[in-house]
Amino acid sequence: MTTALSVRDATKIFGGTTALDHVSIDVEPGEVRALVGQNGCGKSTLIKVLAGYHQPEPGTSVTVGGQELVFGDGTASEAAGLRFVHQDLGLVANLDAVDNMALGQGYVTNGLKTIRWRKERAAAREALASLGYEINIAMPVAGLQMSERTAIAIARAMSTRGTPPKMLILDEPTANLPAAEAQRLYALVKRVAATGVAVLFVSHHFDEVFEMAESVTVLRDGKHIITRPVEGLTEDHLIEYVVGRTLVDADHGGAVRPHGESILELSGVSGRTVRDLNLSVHRGEVVGIAGITGSGREEVASLIFGGHGHAGEITVEGRMLPQSRPDISMERGVALVPAERHANAALMDHSLRENITIVNPGHHMTLGFLRRKPERSDVQTWLERLDVRPPIPEFTMMQLSGGNQQKVVIARWLRQEPKVLILDEPTQGVDVGAKADIHTMVDEAAAQGTAVIVASTDHEELIRVCDRVVIMRRGRAAEIIERGRLTADTLTAATIGRDVSDGAA
Amino acid sequence: MSDTKTAVAVEAAAKPKKRINFGFDKYSGLYVWALLIIAFSLWIPSLFLQSSTLQQVIIFQAISALVALGLCIPVAAGAFDLTVAATLTVSMCFTGWALVNHHGIVVAAGGALLIGIVVGLANSLVVVKLKVDSFIGTLGMSSILVAVAYRITDTSQIVLSTSGYAPFFDFARTQLFGLPRSVYYAAIIAAIIWWILEYTPGGRYLYAVGGNPIAARLAGVRVNRITTLAFVASGLIAAFAGIVAMATIGTAGADSGSGYLLPAFSAVFLGATQIRPGRVNVIGTLIAIFLLATGVTGLQLAGAPNYVTGLFNGVALITAVALAARSARRRA
Repeated sequence: MTTALSVRDATKIFGGTTALDHVSIDVEPGEVRALVGQNGCGKSTLIKVLAGYHQPEPGTSVTVGGQELVFGDGTASEAAGLRFVHQDLGLVANLDAVDNMALGQGYVTNGLKTIRWRKERAAAREALASLGYEINIAMPVAGLQMSERTAIAIARAMSTRGTPPKMLILDEPTANLPAAEAQRLYALVKRVAATGVAVLFVSHHFDEVFEMAESVTVLRDGKHIITRPVEGLTEDHLIEYVVGRTLVDADHGGAVRPHGESILELSGVSGRTVRDLNLSVHRGEVVGIAGITGSGREEVASLIFGGHGHAGEITVEGRMLPQSRPDISMERGVALVPAERHANAALMDHSLRENITIVNPGHHMTLGFLRRKPERSDVQTWLERLDVRPPIPEFTMMQLSGGNQQKVVIARWLRQEPKVLILDEPTQGVDVGAKADIHTMVDEAAAQGTAVIVASTDHEELIRVCDRVVIMRRGRAAEIIERGRLTADTLTAATIGRDVSDGAA
Repeated sequence: MSDTKTAVAVEAAAKPKKRINFGFDKYSGLYVWALLIIAFSLWIPSLFLQSSTLQQVIIFQAISALVALGLCIPVAAGAFDLTVAATLTVSMCFTGWALVNHHGIVVAAGGALLIGIVVGLANSLVVVKLKVDSFIGTLGMSSILVAVAYRITDTSQIVLSTSGYAPFFDFARTQLFGLPRSVYYAAIIAAIIWWILEYTPGGRYLYAVGGNPIAARLAGVRVNRITTLAFVASGLIAAFAGIVAMATIGTAGADSGSGYLLPAFSAVFLGATQIRPGRVNVIGTLIAIFLLATGVTGLQLAGAPNYVTGLFNGVALITAVALAARSARRRA
């Protein structure tokens, strides 16, 4: 049988940075292959090359089922038999399964261009049944379970209208799935593979690698590290391949930072997912929040700051923070650098000056007029302090790279000298250099007595900056891992709910 | 990729181009205005080049300017306020009704201003609390206000005789340096709004809410309060414009204000392509008003029929928004 996918010397360079460095992989029909590696290792670049989104460097060659793939053309990738399901699934929430499955491939119509609904519905039902799902196909997908939605997205991808699929590529398929639903997805993927279609999935969760994949490919720094069968592979070895070393050293000397009295107290705090969270954070301490998506990790930061309502009690220096009032939280000395900067933090068409001083625009006001000159020099100082490039206060936010935008948002809050600084995914979409700078800023803020909370999916980051990490599982703080025990494996194990730490400690 | 982009940006910032900047991007309105003046001067010199023409343009635009200036505030905060014209109508009708029924100037003007505030609060209730899209919410509200105007006027015209209401007419018509008071009111309101938008924290908050309400809220801006205040301000200014209009024109009916809506929106959006491209601003709005007025007056003097006003304003509005969209794309 011909190889389903054969990649030879895939290389992609972005402005001097090699994102993908002569990567070669082969996937056989019916094989389930996991593609793992840290953020920025080149996984998504490889996927985007296959999807026709990125044009790879000359010398790269890809064949699908023996046929040469034309690069930089999504339609060509589709025609070659490559099918993609992205993490967000690409479903329209208020349409039902039938309509969603018709998106992008059109409806079955009769001579008068009237949609043949009965045929449509039968086809949808059949496609889902072949994946082992019986779903209410008349219900808007927003009302379905996550695994059912994933099944619809996969069924759509697997549809044989046009060319038959040769390879299904999934991007973090279980990222949004609770454990029980993840099990259903594993079964679904195996059914797909049983039809002779090759499956390649990108994953951060080792449990899905071990449960779903037959073989695994590890990328690191854009390079192919290893491809091997999952059988006989241990979790420790896989971590070693991914990280590139066995032990993870503590970066701030391994010691817990000296810290002062407790300043932020959470007692019995609940939100949308978070249940009954108790936590106290001290001056000069950095506390991490870890957990898989859906665990409540993504909610904690906004919950404390008042981004949305909470039950229970949150106090700063003994003073209550009211429900959903970011302005009062700010007055009491709390700062939030939210996740997803474009949506939640940046004023993209505003200048860096306005972005930084929006938290207290009245600071440079004299005789009823805002004075731009002192404001500008104030902002300039901060831009230089955080090494924002270019440090030009009148540049608009959208002229900056992601890392620099994030620094501007951080500068906005550091300038306020907060007592409690909450960072939610602070280095999301940020390059390596800016990431290191941001971590240094966290160190400095803590050294000055700020209580810092870092919620992150990036375990390396938590290990780098935190004194202890609260592990969220199913909305609750399941365990707390202290500095001395912080390693990639303990964090990974703890977030996916396998308690390896007891034996180790 | 992002690094090279930054590098290019740094370079561009460090080495300003050695070209004279005519400011076509920021001051294109002034150039177009000049072109219009030159064109009409050549076309109909005897009619257009008279000081009375200039005066006429200024006087007739005082009311439009007031409405447009008030509208700047909610639009800066990203909210449409389609009630401005209807609020002006209700204010005119109420003022006329109160005067005709001998309630006195204070009640007439005070009541009209109160109506403006109530309309603003009602708009913010619909938009902020009921979370109705501002375009739809204020469109509905505007229809309600027209009904109110019909109720007040009993579907007829309220006419104030020049002799009987002289003190009221003085409010807008008394001349100072050859221009009626209404022009000075517009100038004062313009100065106040300019100060608020450019030089106070309130202005920053308005633009931040207009730029990204979620980010603004998470930066401690009280988004709902800002939006409410913006609607109240535009309602109040529209009501004030209604009093000025009544004192200028002397008659009011339920359709008196309808002609002010489109020019106000045209001016605000055309204004947002000027001075500070991409942002609603007072100076730009004023330039736009005079640009539009010059065009309309010139065409009318040249013998164009009356409906050319609507045609001109409509074309200007679409052109303005299309230009803004294009420059936003280029900046991104």
